[in-house]
Amino acid sequence: MAVTSPSRVSTAAAVSPRGPSRGAKLRAPGWYRAALFDVIGFAFAFGLTCLIRALMHQHPVVDGRAILPVALIAVPLFFLVGLGVADYWFYWASGRPTRPEDHSQHGAHTWRDYFRVNTDHKVIGTQYVVHSFFFLLVGGLLAMLIRAQLAKPGMQFLTPEQYNGVFSVHASILIFLFVIPVFAGLANFVLPLMIGAPDMAFPRLNALSFWLLPIGGIMMMMSFLAPGGAFAAGWTNYAPLSTTMPPGQLFFALAVQFAGASSIATALNFLVTIITMRAPGMSFFRLPLLVWANFATSLLVVIATPFIAASQFFVLLDTTLHFHFFDAFVGAGRNGNVIMYQHIFWFYSHPAVYIMILPGFGIISEVLAVKARKPIFGYRMMAFSLLAIVVLGFTVWAHHMFVSGMAPWIRIPMMITTAIIAIPTGIKVFSWIATLWRGVLHLDTPMLFALGFLTTFTLGGISGIMLAMIPFDIHVSQTYFIVAHIHYVLYGGSLFTIFAGVYYWFPKMTGRMFDDRLGKWHFWLTFISFNLTFGPMHIIGIQGMPRRVAEYAHQFAAWNLFISLMSFVLGASTLIFLYNIVVSWRGGPRASANPWRALTLEWQVSSPPPIFNFDTVPTVVGGPYEYGVPGAVHGIFKPPAEAKRGAARPVAAGSGPPRRGADGEGDHP
Amino acid sequence: MQAASIAAHADHHGPPPAHRSSRVEAPTLGMLLFIMSEIMIFGAFFTAYFFIRVVNHNPWPAAGTQVPESVAGINTAILLSSSLTIHWALMSAKNGNRFGLKAGMATTFLLGLTFLTIQINEYIHIGFAPHDAAQATIFYALTGLHGAHVFIGLCILLMVTIRAFRGHYSPDSHLGMEVPGIYWHFVDIMWVIVYTSVYVL
Repeated sequence: MAVTSPSRVSTAAAVSPRGPSRGAKLRAPGWYRAALFDVIGFAFAFGLTCLIRALMHQHPVVDGRAILPVALIAVPLFFLVGLGVADYWFYWASGRPTRPEDHSQHGAHTWRDYFRVNTDHKVIGTQYVVHSFFFLLVGGLLAMLIRAQLAKPGMQFLTPEQYNGVFSVHASILIFLFVIPVFAGLANFVLPLMIGAPDMAFPRLNALSFWLLPIGGIMMMMSFLAPGGAFAAGWTNYAPLSTTMPPGQLFFALAVQFAGASSIATALNFLVTIITMRAPGMSFFRLPLLVWANFATSLLVVIATPFIAASQFFVLLDTTLHFHFFDAFVGAGRNGNVIMYQHIFWFYSHPAVYIMILPGFGIISEVLAVKARKPIFGYRMMAFSLLAIVVLGFTVWAHHMFVSGMAPWIRIPMMITTAIIAIPTGIKVFSWIATLWRGVLHLDTPMLFALGFLTTFTLGGISGIMLAMIPFDIHVSQTYFIVAHIHYVLYGGSLFTIFAGVYYWFPKMTGRMFDDRLGKWHFWLTFISFNLTFGPMHIIGIQGMPRRVAEYAHQFAAWNLFISLMSFVLGASTLIFLYNIVVSWRGGPRASANPWRALTLEWQVSSPPPIFNFDTVPTVVGGPYEYGVPGAVHGIFKPPAEAKRGAARPVAAGSGPPRRGADGEGDHP
Repeated sequence: MQAASIAAHADHHGPPPAHRSSRVEAPTLGMLLFIMSEIMIFGAFFTAYFFIRVVNHNPWPAAGTQVPESVAGINTAILLSSSLTIHWALMSAKNGNRFGLKAGMATTFLLGLTFLTIQINEYIHIGFAPHDAAQATIFYALTGLHGAHVFIGLCILLMVTIRAFRGHYSPDSHLGMEVPGIYWHFVDIMWVIVYTSVYVL
């Protein structure tokens, strides 16, 4: 690891942007070469498809429908190679000596560096988060379009086909390109710092997993340009509906492969990093709960994500090569199975809802302990309940299928396991509340979002328990009650934790403070308009308004107009957030190293952290949440031998008496 | 940064070495986790197999077709023997036996290539296509998924073989062939499960 080979100099020279000739630009990794490789990739797909069709005597030899899926696979892969994510692996494959990651590309010096392949976990983390928020805006705008369409009964702006496409892309982008990767991004930035590691275990793989994401996102957005419109079978993409749809469907099935590969690679990286690279003294039960949460999430990703990959492979094979996975009605001897799609899909997609919330649980644990100035209540139970959710998460998938026509007896065990999984979640909620009990609450923006999360997520959890009950679920299946539930757990749950996390780590990531007053405006506007948007959906859902339909009966008109108006307020509240973040990042007051007086290791280095995180690997000597405990220390910057001798000067804050009413912002110089 | 930069770092560009908190090597652990993922993708394909064959009560193989058990059986033996040869290559690397290392890797690669060739030849002569019936679909899907893994495994083995011939790997440094070896063993074991369920049962 410590060996630096002299060949680093030559690679650094090749990357240098200063005045190379056009030919050199096309040979060096970067956007020029990526563009060139895109063209080559398309030519390759075109040639390969035509060659195979000619060899198999199919006419016409040039067929756009056959070229499209091949091009959708080949062009992105060529793009990645052109951009330079695989340069080292080609170098290795040619038999030359191994070269340990030399960290020569660490750090970002200008904004342009964020558009290059970079192996620094902090740069990748920022790339992830900003990229994800771009897709939050795209998904949010699509939501505004949906609500504009539904403001009045009857058709407004969209045809029914377009409407189906809009809500499908809305859900897919927000799930696969926002919620899942933004958590990976925050953890990418914070997790190695928290465990005292200089970087992730596989920095090059980390870069690859980021660059797979924009491919998935662009592919989903491009599907609007496909003949026949965007994919319109919902984000669930149920077969055989999806296998009989226009080619826009291919964009979903393939985009999910890229986003899924990205998730698996990141999850694997997190697991290896957490297991092999913890600082001395950082035992598993001294890990901050964010690390525990990402450990649990990564296990879910590694085990579950292959199932959605397979389900979309099946859809692709059925669509393009006329396989018969889902073809139940073709006649004698061809019996595929339709329900099989839903089983395989939900075996991923139910664990996926935990993939979308567990890292948020970790963020909330960090924020609540720091902002309440109290040790987290029931640390070990918090960690164990995460693992319990991982295990139980694999036993509940068929509760999405109560009305699918599967064997009725399967419903009973699924109802019971679904009710049971509320127990570990409940343990967490009660532990958070107990953490707040008699704490010294600092009600600044991250804390407000954390408290808002507790409220809305608990409401979403309660409607989840209602949905576990078979008779009730049958009554509200395919209604707005489901829409209300999913938005309470994904918006009021995940997105609130994301806001809390982004505000909480904003000083660390950017070295600047955000405007807390604007942050509070953002919170209250979001919290109120969120509840007024999605709360009434419970009511119209129980009354029977169907989801995923472009129009509705007149009896729901008043509520829908109200919901649409409130959703526009909700959309506008995000603009406050954007304004705050952009302005603060450019010119906010400088943040001190530890504005929140937190104990965890990422706050013990400068803001933003130094290029290699730590000059010496810290030694961990105590738990991460000993707030309010006099003299408590989590980590010190000494080797373990010296640390043991005791009386080491603690670098951790929090040993002083907590100042009432200080919201942390007073700490910056 | 509180801790002062140490003079020893002056000629060293990069972070301090990370603390090793586990005895397992990071690449080995990464490969094992990746294999866990791979097992799950095979699991999803076997779920499809289960639904088509068991839940739907379809006759196996589809009426009027048959699967060549004996040819595939010989093929199984070929693939399994490649697991032995790659183990031999690894042992040779650990003992500093360069001939054994090179011969072992080359034999493993050729055995894998033979397996893949026989498999493709079987597709050509088997007499049914994936779009003929659901059973044919899942037959091609499972054997094809495995074939894709053999192909990827072969690409990696080729790189390792090239590196072996170029003088890499020694008794102290053989992780670069040990980790691909784990993958290759996984591909072999997975074939036994695919062979048993698709051809034998």
